[in-house]
This record gives sequence, C-alpha cells and structure tokens, in this order.
Amino acid sequence: MRSIVIAPRNVFCISVEAENISPDRFAPLKIEEIKKLIVWQGNRQKILSDLFTVDGEDSPSKAEDMAIRLSGDFSNVKRIGEGMTSGAIEVQGSAGMHAGNHMSGGILSIAGNADDWLAREMLGGRVVVMGDAGNYVGAGYRGEKCGMRGGEIEVRGNAGAYLGEHLCGGSIRVGGNAGDFPGAANQGGTIFIGGSTYLPGAEMSKGTINVRGETKVLPSFQKMEIAQIDGTDYQKYLGDLLENGKGELFVGVAVP
Amino acid sequence: MIIRGGIVYDPSNGIFGEEMDLFIDRGKMVEEARGEEIDASGLLVMPGGVDAHAHIAGKKVNTGRIMRPDDSRLGTEPRNGVCRPSTGYTVPNCYAMGYRYARMGYTTAFEAATPILEARHTHEELQEIPIIDKGALTLFGNNWQVMECVRDKDLSKLAAYVAWGLRSARGYGVKIVNPGGGESWGFGTNVKSVNDPVPNFDVTPAEIIRGLAQANELLHLPHSIHLHFNNLGKPGNYTTAIETLDLLKDIKPSRMRQVVHVAHMQFSAYGGTGWRDFESKAPVIADYFNSHNHATMDMGQLLFGSATTMTADAPLEYGNARLTHNKWSNHDIELEESSGVVPMIYSRKMLVNAVQWAVGLELALLVDDPWKVLMTTDHPNGSPFVNYPEVVTLLMSKPKRDAEMASMHEQLQKRTGLGEIQRELDWADIAIMTRAAPARILGLPDKGHLGPGADADITIYNLKPEELDTSQDHSLVKKAISTAMYTIKGGVVVSKDGKILCTPPGRAFWVDAAVPQADTDRLMPDLQEKFAKYYSIQLSNYAVQDAYLPHANVIRAGLSIEPLQEVA
Ligand SMILES: [Zn+2]
Repeated sequence: MRSIVIAPRNVFCISVEAENISPDRFAPLKIEEIKKLIVWQGNRQKILSDLFTVDGEDSPSKAEDMAIRLSGDFSNVKRIGEGMTSGAIEVQGSAGMHAGNHMSGGILSIAGNADDWLAREMLGGRVVVMGDAGNYVGAGYRGEKCGMRGGEIEVRGNAGAYLGEHLCGGSIRVGGNAGDFPGAANQGGTIFIGGSTYLPGAEMSKGTINVRGETKVLPSFQKMEIAQIDGTDYQKYLGDLLENGKGELFVGVAVP
Repeated sequence: MIIRGGIVYDPSNGIFGEEMDLFIDRGKMVEEARGEEIDASGLLVMPGGVDAHAHIAGKKVNTGRIMRPDDSRLGTEPRNGVCRPSTGYTVPNCYAMGYRYARMGYTTAFEAATPILEARHTHEELQEIPIIDKGALTLFGNNWQVMECVRDKDLSKLAAYVAWGLRSARGYGVKIVNPGGGESWGFGTNVKSVNDPVPNFDVTPAEIIRGLAQANELLHLPHSIHLHFNNLGKPGNYTTAIETLDLLKDIKPSRMRQVVHVAHMQFSAYGGTGWRDFESKAPVIADYFNSHNHATMDMGQLLFGSATTMTADAPLEYGNARLTHNKWSNHDIELEESSGVVPMIYSRKMLVNAVQWAVGLELALLVDDPWKVLMTTDHPNGSPFVNYPEVVTLLMSKPKRDAEMASMHEQLQKRTGLGEIQRELDWADIAIMTRAAPARILGLPDKGHLGPGADADITIYNLKPEELDTSQDHSLVKKAISTAMYTIKGGVVVSKDGKILCTPPGRAFWVDAAVPQADTDRLMPDLQEKFAKYYSIQLSNYAVQDAYLPHANVIRAGLSIEPLQEVA
C-alpha cells in the first residue's frame, strides 16, 4: 500500500473543486507531480499544493495499491474521488458535495458527514459514511435518466431527500431516517432504510425499497401480503401503478 | 491578405482543385491585394461552410437546454483567451455554437424555424452567437391569417401578409412545417395527407403549400419555400413526399433557383406499413429529384448517439415521446404554430435507426446532381452539427460505410440498398454540398464562392487533396476537416488549428419585401381584429425592433422592386 496524506492549509470559505483527489490520478505520479495537479477554488485555477499539504510515499504505484487519507475539514471540498476505479480514500472528517460521483470501484469512507450528491451516478465500488448524508445520495444529476447503476452505499446516520433518485442498479443502505421521496423513479436498484421516511418509490418501475420504520405510502401503490424479511414482518406493496410499475415496497409492521 | 498556393475548390466559379492564390481586401474577395500572406501550399481551400438548415437559436433550442441539463454537462469548456465558456453537445450555449462552427470551417448558418411571435427571442440568441453570419426562416404553414387568405383565394393579401410577417420577424424566408398539422394538433389530431382538411379552416395542406409557394414567387424572395412535409418521420411517408412535390411542379420560380427546398429529406423517405417492415424508399425519392428540377433537399442525416429532436411538428414530437418514454415538451404558439422537443438516443443496434442512417446517405449518393442535395444533420434532430465531418467522410468512403454497416443489424441489407452503392463523393461534390449549393439555394450571392466581390469567408484544411486517398484514409480526412487549419471570416482569421483568435459579431440577414400599399391596407383590419381578440400581446408590441439586430443585413425583395422574371 502506498499511503498519501492530504490536509487543507486553511479553512476554505470559497469551495474547492478537487476531482483530482483520486487514487487513479495520484497513482502514476510522484509527490511533486501530485502537488501540481489542478484544483479550482471558485473561478480561480490553482494547484493542489496551493491549498493542501501533500505527504507520503514518493514512488508511483498502481491505483489499487493507493490509500489516500484526507485529514482535516473537507466539508467544502467537492468531487473527492470522482470516477475512481480502485484503491481507497479515507476522509477523516466530513466531505463536500459530489464525493465519489461516477466511481466504479474502490472504497470511499467518510468518518463525518457527506454533503449532497454523494456517489451520484455511481457504477461500482463501495461508499461508507459514518455520519449523515445530504440530499440526492446515489441519484442522477439534473436531467439524467439513470442515477447509480451499481455498487454499494452505506450511510450509518440519516440521509436527506431524494435518496437514490433514478436508481438503475446497486444498493443503498441507510441506518437512520431518510428525507422525502426516497427511491423516486427507481428503475432497478435496492434501498433499505432503517428508520422512517416519507412517500417512498414515487414513479418507481422496478427495484426494491425497504422501510423498517414509519412511512406514508402513496395511494398509487397496491397493498399485497405480509412478508417476513430477516425475522421482521413487512407489509408489501407493488407500484408505482401510475408508471405500470413492478417495483416492490416493503414497510415494517409496527409492533403494538 | 493573400492566400498562396492552395488547392482551391470554388464550384460556383468552375474551379475544381486548381492551385491558385486568393486575394482579400476589406473583407471581400478581389483580383489583386497586398498585405499579410498565408502559405496554403498544396492544402485544401474552400469557401467558408454554409449551413442552410440547423436549429441554433430561439425558444425551442432554449427549451432543449432547459430540459437537458444532462446535455449541458457534455460540452463544457472553461473560458479561454477570447472565448467565453462553452456548454452542451446537442444544445450548446450560444457562444459554443459560434466557436464550433468556426473551428469546423463554417462561417454562415441559418436557423430553420421561428414563429413570428418568438422571433425576438431568436434574434437575441443569434446576436449572441459570435463569428458566423446568420439568418432565421419564419414559420407560416399553420398561421391563421395564411389559412384564411388561402381559403379566400386572395393571393395578393397572402403575399402582403408574408411580407409583413417577414418584416415583423426580421425573417429571411418562408418555412412551412407539417402545414395544417400544427393547427390540427390544437384539437388533438393531425392531418394525414395533403388533402386532409384542417379543422375549422376549410383548407388543405396542399392548398396552403401551393398558396405560400405562389406568394413566395410573387414576392421574388431570395429563397424558395422551405418545406417540412406532412407525415414526416412516419413509415410509408415517401408517397406524401412525392405527392407534395408534384403539387409544385408547375410553379415558375421568380429567380434562378428551386421552387421548393425540402428540409431534412431523410425523415420523409420511408417505406413500410409500420415499424416492423420499415424500409428505405430513398431510391424512389432520388429518382424523383433526378428527373425533376424544381426541388432541392438537405439530407437531415441521422448519426448514432445523442440528439435532441425539436420541431414545430408538435404531433410528431408527441409520437416520439410516447415511443421513447422520454421527456417531452409541447408548446402552443397562439395563432401561428405548435412545437415540441424530445431528447433522443439513436442506436446502431436498433434496426429502425440503422435504416434511417442509411436513408440519408442513400439520398445524397443516389441524387446525381450535388447542387440538389445539402449536407446537413438537421442539427440537433439527426445529430449535432459538430458531427458533419462524420457525414462527409461516410459520403466520400465506401470502405467506411461498409465497416459501419458490418456493425449493424443484419436485416439492414434487406431494408436499404446502401451496401450496393459504389459512388464515393469527391472534394468538388463536398464543396458544392456544404458551400456553393446552400448559398445558391438560400439566395446569398456573396456566400459560398470565392469570386471577386464575394465575402472573404474561406476555409483552409490541413489536408493535401492531391496526396490523400479519401476513400481509404477516411480517418485522416475526418480529423482534418473537424478542425480547420484556418477559418477566415470577412477577411479576418477567426480560428487557427482549433484556437479561436477573435470573435467578431456576425451579421444577421433578413428580407424586406415590398408590396402595394393597397394590399397592406386590406390586410391590416384582419390583423387588428386577431390581435384584439386572440393574441396575448398587442399588435404594436409584436414586431422585432431593429435594436435586436445591431448587425443587420437587409435584402430587398418584393412586388415593386422588379417585375416578375420567368426563368427558362
Ligand atoms: Zn429542421
């Protein structure tokens, strides 16, 4: 494993776009070359070392052998790990918007919270967030017909609205609650929500949504039988009938 | 400025691949000049490209942008030097349109469809497209006033309205889209043939088309009517195409040009009774064009990948939306038109798309006279204009066509005859189809050629036509014509090897046609009544003001300019 540590030089009041922080981009480069990778702050083009300290092993390696540790506050640093195909990024604090977007492999772990658009349009790999995630986890970006197509996302805390919008594959697991409209326009992915949420699966045509806690189900879902999953009773629904949907929605049956 | 030693293709002046020097003075081609010299020894030199049919400005283009933020992500380039930021692929922002045309060696492009009511928006966007000269065709085919004049067989009032409409829209020519169909769509139906009556108007598409063609020639307009057929995009629609063209056979052109230009012929050359037995009828259409001289066409070539369909043919777009389950915009333009926008992905694995791809190429290869066929993709309906080099190389290389067809549905060979066509176009054909013919068809005497007095719009490609085998080396050709070595616009180098050097504003052409005052006087009460009763705006706020065309180039036409001249 080749390990590299990146830390912000100061607090960013203007957000930074740092899609070059990725195992794939770092792997073939020496430390001095990594420092010269382009980042943008607002509308100003800069190099990585203008804004961050970069330390670690100097000799290039394969992407799968890269471990990048982001130490400090990255909550205003966007697009961390964009399009990564392998290797690991460990964010020790919180990560800014669009972290892990388009990633197809490797592991992105975030110890704090993740901002909106976490792992949007993800293709594969694994994302773990210990804290909360913002809106549009694993969704498709504006105008896109497909969000996440593969891989796994796990959010241990709560997630925001439109969790997994336009999901076309892969799975998302949220330990806590999810905001409004999880799994909207789901076309084949799997969502598990440990807590409660509101109006899951609107316009879904395929895939599965599982809500353990309380939720309001849209009237365009057909009530089916009671199903047992992992020893828990769930009320099963089919929908969204407005879209001729064959999606499955399971809602935990509250224990009286 | 002097351009030395290029291999020049200037078909309008009978020059086909001659080594010669070109001279430019104050933005015009001249016999002799001094100044800066560009060494073009052995390189391919042509007039600047002219695009006679593309959707580059106005409300439906902007609707496409609004509907497709996913598209805007595809073509982002940050600001750089003199360039403002670019976005988009099928529906680029205004700046990107100008830069991308210029990089490709194009210096003129016409927006193909603008309702009068939305012309102000079109001109606001055209003005923001840098570098290229432009103009906009004005929609008349579903207009209430037009249909009433046609119904009343009042040709002079119709001509007065067309002149007034062009003036109000600052428009260049008469565009007709699915005549009668757009109005029917207001009642949830469509016209199914040229003889199907339009609800509430007691006219047929055939009468609308003939009436507007007659008015067009009465007004002596530089361009002919520009027609998008009824039943466009439907299996079996080639019969509608032939029937419509036959309607116009006997009309005399008032200038040295066609009587009708057919927009994106590819979408109207289909056989079959449905999508299952969908097939090419390009040979029948090509035969018609080979045996008649009153019509020209542009290909409307379809290429695989992302496109955004946008047209005033609203019922067609409803069909597209139902077929693809994609996003759909539908729009009613008061007394004038309807329109729609639907994003589209064309796939080479889909037999229908593969047939459509073949139909466009067949048309261009089977029509003998290249002056009758323009190379277009009906941007962005068939493909974005940045893919013109792909179309050109397909037309120039049989091996390239064969390689493409080998990757498609095996049924394709049975549905089209493309595989048997041996013809490969040469640089003379391409110079005609992308420069000389569009300028002549539009009626732009200073465009598309390099004779004295022409606009000094010139493309120099980094390609030696005498050394390159366009049939075998098609990938080198494509690369060379994708990025011109020099694009010169109005005597100024605007792009060199893909880098934009300066961004002069282009001019906007429009046609001011004069009509007898008595005809206008008869017309105005009709219009006053319509604006009072139906329009959402006042008559006095309707016309586009000159402030929206700071670089206008007005072409005079009309009844009182010259007497009608019959062309032998
Ligand atoms: Zn068009």
